[in-house]
Amino acid sequence: MSSVQVLLRHHVRLHRATLVPLAVGLAVFEWIMTVVAGQPSVSRFLTSALNAAPPQFLALLNQDQLSIISAQGIVSVGYSHPFALLMMAVVAVRVSSAALAGEIGRRTMDLMAARPILRAAHVTAALAAVVAGLGILAAAAYAGTLIGLVIGPVAGVSALRYAPVALQLWVLFACWGAIGIAVSALCREAGQAIAWTSGLMAGSFVLDYAARVWPTLAPLRPFSLFRYYEPQRVMSAGLAGHDLAVPAAVGAAALLLAYAVFSRRDL
Amino acid sequence: MADSFPIRASGLGKRYGDVTALEDLTLEVGQGEAFGFLGPNGAGKTTTIRLLLGLLRPSAGEAVVLGKRVSRSVAWRGEVGYLPGDMSYWPRLTGQETLDFLCALSGRAALARAGLLKRLDLGAAELARPVRTYSDGMRQKLGIVQALQCTPRLALLDEPTKGLDPLMQQAFYEIVTDMRRHGATVFLSSHVISEVERVCDRVAMLRAGRLVTVGTVMSLRQAERRRVIADFTDPVDVAALAHFGEIVASGERHVELLVAQDQMPALVARLGMLPLSDLLVERPTLEDAFLEKYR
Repeated sequence: MSSVQVLLRHHVRLHRATLVPLAVGLAVFEWIMTVVAGQPSVSRFLTSALNAAPPQFLALLNQDQLSIISAQGIVSVGYSHPFALLMMAVVAVRVSSAALAGEIGRRTMDLMAARPILRAAHVTAALAAVVAGLGILAAAAYAGTLIGLVIGPVAGVSALRYAPVALQLWVLFACWGAIGIAVSALCREAGQAIAWTSGLMAGSFVLDYAARVWPTLAPLRPFSLFRYYEPQRVMSAGLAGHDLAVPAAVGAAALLLAYAVFSRRDL
Repeated sequence: MADSFPIRASGLGKRYGDVTALEDLTLEVGQGEAFGFLGPNGAGKTTTIRLLLGLLRPSAGEAVVLGKRVSRSVAWRGEVGYLPGDMSYWPRLTGQETLDFLCALSGRAALARAGLLKRLDLGAAELARPVRTYSDGMRQKLGIVQALQCTPRLALLDEPTKGLDPLMQQAFYEIVTDMRRHGATVFLSSHVISEVERVCDRVAMLRAGRLVTVGTVMSLRQAERRRVIADFTDPVDVAALAHFGEIVASGERHVELLVAQDQMPALVARLGMLPLSDLLVERPTLEDAFLEKYR
């Protein structure tokens, strides 16, 4: 077994207790969204409530009023709802922060780094853990949608249309995970890494929201990673190249930084 | 490069901004040697060990461990066992999981594990428990096992007996003796001078990041002054004995002196001319040498 595999198993052991309830919670949430979408009374209530809601509130859900009226739109809300984003964010931040800064802060990194493994292996294993953990959550979200639509089919809603959305959700947060690893490589404590990564993520989310609400800030929207995550547009027009390319490029740059910093720093 | 010196440090230094943690350390530790590293808190002992392992990057100089430049490769670490001075673990992992994980990272079989567990009295029941439930002593025992379980050629041990009861300390000394019998080199940092005196052949003393002295335990002891305590039946002029050494306590019929080894014959001859009732000459211990260096 390679050192990266050994480290990956270690991360899995440390985080599985958290990952399982998050995945189950997200799957149940997406399943509930299919149930809600399939009930005309609930649909009617949500439609009238959302029609009365200010556009700023709908912008928070990353939806427009027209799309959310449909059953397909209600199911897609499950992928842009703050609950789903928060579940993904928890894994991206927690695993990335714990992998490097957390081990340094707890002084267990000394035990691992005194073994015959390259420092780069720690970064690679952290990336694998983050990507795998987020993949499990994204898959759980999609599984919730799929199971919900199989058990209670909703007219005009196909589970297949949500697969690219789940993929995009995964790529977006994998990018945040890579940023978290870079931050983690620079920090000495998990708390410090969590604060910086969460702060960057929250800032990016607020920038995207503000740019959608206030036209003055609209030119700044491409600078937010959340700009490249639009479930409703992906369902109607499919994935655009930049939806995956921009997060992938940002994530790759963050990883290069992590490799460079972690290979040279004092532990 | 010849492997007869598992540790070579030349001009090794570490600075943190304006703070010098270690300066110009030049040192060689021979194959099969037990080398003690003494110094008060903050002297640079742990920094030295972390530099030798490549956990820190030196500000100056370089270290060669097991014939390899520390900064150039990592494979040599497979033959090194490391016990940190402040043992920390993953609290939710069991002792068994901890040992298995660290052994897997070493890439070597844990041939010595069973023997170490037996000698340190760590049973299967203890190993099945999460490490967060361990006492300080158990944590230290687990630390010793993880460091030595893969039969390292070089053991870097930072305060190895911290938290161990006397029985377990004895077991640890026996483990070190056995390791040396099999040709392993032991680099041991400690505050416990008697432990270093007991286990080590040679000793280095650090003070404020600088090497104060290196030598065999015997040579360091011999370099120190003997404590001579003399009692007399009648009052004597003890001040007249001052030119033999330093008088540290005196009375009409009593004197205590610190005397260099080369002054001993003359002092004994002089005392023989006085109304001597009792004479005690204490051999200096490593602790005396240590205290003398740090006064």
